[in-house]
Amino acid sequence: MESIQARLGTLTAEFADLDAREKLELLVDFANGLPPLPPEFEARKAVEDRRVHECQTPVFLWTEVDGGIARLVAEVAPEAPTVKGFVAILAEAINGRPAVDVAALSDDMLERMGLADVLGILRTRGLRAIVARVKRGFAEKTAGA
Amino acid sequence: MPAYAHPDVLVSTDWVAEHLSDPGVRIVESDEDRALYTQGHIPGAVEIDWAVDLQNQVERDYIDRAAFERLCAERGISNDTTVVFYGDKNNWWACYAFWVFKLYGHKDCRIMNGGRKRWELDGRPWSNERVSVPHAHYTAQEQDASIRALRDEVLKHQKAGKQLLDVRSPEEYRGERMHMPDYPNEGAVRGGHIPGALNVPWPMNCNDDGTFKTAKELEKLYVKDLKMKRRSPTIAYCRIGERSSLTWFVLTYLLGFGNVKNYDGSWLEWGNCVRVPIVKGAEPGGPAAASPAPVMHA
Repeated sequence: MESIQARLGTLTAEFADLDAREKLELLVDFANGLPPLPPEFEARKAVEDRRVHECQTPVFLWTEVDGGIARLVAEVAPEAPTVKGFVAILAEAINGRPAVDVAALSDDMLERMGLADVLGILRTRGLRAIVARVKRGFAEKTAGA
Repeated sequence: MPAYAHPDVLVSTDWVAEHLSDPGVRIVESDEDRALYTQGHIPGAVEIDWAVDLQNQVERDYIDRAAFERLCAERGISNDTTVVFYGDKNNWWACYAFWVFKLYGHKDCRIMNGGRKRWELDGRPWSNERVSVPHAHYTAQEQDASIRALRDEVLKHQKAGKQLLDVRSPEEYRGERMHMPDYPNEGAVRGGHIPGALNVPWPMNCNDDGTFKTAKELEKLYVKDLKMKRRSPTIAYCRIGERSSLTWFVLTYLLGFGNVKNYDGSWLEWGNCVRVPIVKGAEPGGPAAASPAPVMHA
């Protein structure tokens, strides 16, 4: 099975050769592909503090581990397609793979995708916060495993 | 009922819908999230992004005059074009772009009241087609110093006890929120506010549908309750000068304040400066809350 890092590389390779407008269009495609929040998480949303407070728009993340396998579940407000697309890419790279491997996720994926130039420095901070949050979430679940 | 001081700068979604193919009008979208424009924009609208298009990518400043002229030319904006800005988040970035256009002396700038939210609520169409516009010719003015405050001026203004407005959230104003988990590089090393600044969080200017509050409501807030004077020089700031450009717009164009500047360096600069006065907590403090004089050692 492809590692998380390799899978992420495959998913994001396409970005490298695109111009700014095409990058944003591809990101919007990913955003549109993020599945709606499963019903069982809808109920949990009300009682668990899963909101990413660093993001100005509502973003809720769950880092679930079942039998050592990672599952990133997310809900992102429709008014934030950049964050939504980014989270969709992360989920596609992570889901179904060993949770312990999430730690190996590189922090420079935004640079690799060439998104830092398209979004500007301040905006990419929020996205970095999401990567950090996801890595920490899985690290806590797999600690001592 | 009192009217806005300069009602012409606000246009409705109806007005925009009627002027979509008016060659004298250019509709410009500016968003917090750039991908929103890509996903769907007002038919024929061009995008101007605050971070990528309006900011200098090397120095912490705006693009220079020549770059602004190139930007306008590429977006099909000439000196006599009516430029209508709109966007997400209560038009906060639209006001920022409006302010930068005023900085370079563009004459006819407007805001579409309610922005993306009102357009959506009105059930109007979005387009994801690429927009190409005819190249224009543009000659910009020198930057208008009367609407932009730099740090030294803010310090003098503060020491003189003049009107200062902090438009960030109460948590940021009180200095409680600054360093967040997983967020090592938030920006400022100190939290709090500039002494004497009143706190009017920027969303207080707007209704739930993204439109601006009425002249009466705004007048009650700023003039009656806070006792702000229309003729006194006023400086507004936030974290990076975006939210405060919305308040600058409200005070200048909707309430008719005569001398308002946006401090675009804002807290990201002030909270990092050495030996500038800062007040923590809910009270504004005053000019007396200045930093202590340096101690001389023999």
